[in-house]
Amino acid sequence: MKKVIAREALCLDCKLCEVFCRTAHSKSKDVVRAHLYEDPAPVARITVEGDILDSVAVNCRHCDDPACVNACITGAMHKDPETGIVSCDESRCIGCMTCLAVCPVGCIKPGRTAVKCDLCQETGEPACVKNCPNRALVYVEVGGDAQ
Amino acid sequence: MKQYAIVGASAAGLSCAKTLRTLDPDCEITLFTDEPFLPYSRPIISYYLKDKVQADQIYLQPSDFYTKHRIRVRTNTRVAAVQTGTLTTEGGETLKFDKILLATGSVPFVPPMENVGAQENVFTFLTMREAERLKAYAKPNMHAVIIGAGLIGLKAAEGLRPLVESVTVVELADKVLPSILDDEAAKTVRAHLDANGVETLLGDTVVRAEGEKTITAVTLKSGKTLPCDLLVLAVGVRPNTVLAERAGAEVNRGITVNRDTMETTVPGVFAAGDCVRSYDILDGQEKIIALWPNAVREGMTAAYNMAGQEHKDTGSFAVNAIDFFGLRICTCGLIRAEGATVLTREGEGFCKRLLVKDNRLVGFVLLNASERAGIYTALIQNKVDLNTLSGDLLDEPGLMLFSREVRTEKLTGGVRV
Repeated sequence: MKKVIAREALCLDCKLCEVFCRTAHSKSKDVVRAHLYEDPAPVARITVEGDILDSVAVNCRHCDDPACVNACITGAMHKDPETGIVSCDESRCIGCMTCLAVCPVGCIKPGRTAVKCDLCQETGEPACVKNCPNRALVYVEVGGDAQ
Repeated sequence: MKQYAIVGASAAGLSCAKTLRTLDPDCEITLFTDEPFLPYSRPIISYYLKDKVQADQIYLQPSDFYTKHRIRVRTNTRVAAVQTGTLTTEGGETLKFDKILLATGSVPFVPPMENVGAQENVFTFLTMREAERLKAYAKPNMHAVIIGAGLIGLKAAEGLRPLVESVTVVELADKVLPSILDDEAAKTVRAHLDANGVETLLGDTVVRAEGEKTITAVTLKSGKTLPCDLLVLAVGVRPNTVLAERAGAEVNRGITVNRDTMETTVPGVFAAGDCVRSYDILDGQEKIIALWPNAVREGMTAAYNMAGQEHKDTGSFAVNAIDFFGLRICTCGLIRAEGATVLTREGEGFCKRLLVKDNRLVGFVLLNASERAGIYTALIQNKVDLNTLSGDLLDEPGLMLFSREVRTEKLTGGVRV
């Protein structure tokens, strides 16, 4: 499957990936409205960790054997057998946050439900990758067990 | 064509069935459950009680999942006995199977109490049936008493709170959630329960009930009497080992299994989940770890070995996340360990306690501080030497704790771009 891969040496700590992720997962799909006016505020599913000297963007690895899926007590968290994408069906999530307790990269965000990267399934190209000015994020085929 | 039977349709049973299907597209899989439901989430029943989840939203998989993956679910079917290669139902059918999994879970433990049992207003809180019965029975003017302030008792309390006049939880231990919380965290949780209208009485328990057909009051060990229109027994659970015992398998509190393969001492009969005695990789002890992720993993391990594929279980440890009235509790590993030090950080509305021993993280309790807790969990699971990390462990954890090499490996899985 294709995954978002971060190239740490190229990351500028600009956090535009967070901005455009939040926008892509907003109601309005508008940068300004998404940031200032939407309630509930849309959540970025990617986080730039570190500081200006050393930073890297972290989002879901869509693991082959995902700990979050194995830990989910309702079946909301699932891995699509065709695409390999791990996503949270927010209509079925009760917000217990067991997935946060087991994700080894810490990419799931708490909220009313668990919130995580869905690789922008709707548009087909992750907004974080598309809008990274430095190509510190790339979307590449990496293999894995998706068919 | 291989024939597999799975007894029990919760976390371990379903995970075994799913894994068997991926390993062997041709095999036949039959899942037996004595309940009338397709596999559903047991922890969700408290959300059903308080109406956050409706009766049709409890299922772990949509119903067409079972036809699509050719998993035959036999509901309302109680299994009477298993032996190597055969399974007998209570209806008297004897069926042949190559391999059998016991995923029979837990049953409520009910301590002896005077005049408690047959009344219509006595409930347990482990199954959807009991939750339905409780929901139908609860009325706004009722006083509910719950025995046990563990995960099940407190979830029942939270679910019942909006339905009845008062909820009182009686717990024999000196704190709430004694199996997952240290003393300090337990005090915070207790105060939060109190603020949300759930009274907790510690160091006490019910010894006697009044009422023949219907309980009207309970008397506690301390001599205190509480009005009681509805009694929930949530003292604890014990592994459901009946079938294993009948099969002649070794049982010592939980079913004894081969630590690597999950096979019981009866060849061809495997066991996984709350009914087995697991091996805790953190303290090397064998114990019952009745938690969801553990059951799922053991079910998967059993599936590989039932299908004859080599696959060693990675071992268990406790990890749990739960919330009560908006307070998020996340715990992992050991609550106490000899020679361990506790790192604490408390602030407005949150509390973190990390247990460190021999320079390794061995446990944590996080109240309203679940952010990226999985990083801590991985440190515990992988027994990472804390000297190899940089930064303050008590800050919100992240991949920056690790060296660049380790971090890149975690993020790219070795892919070079």
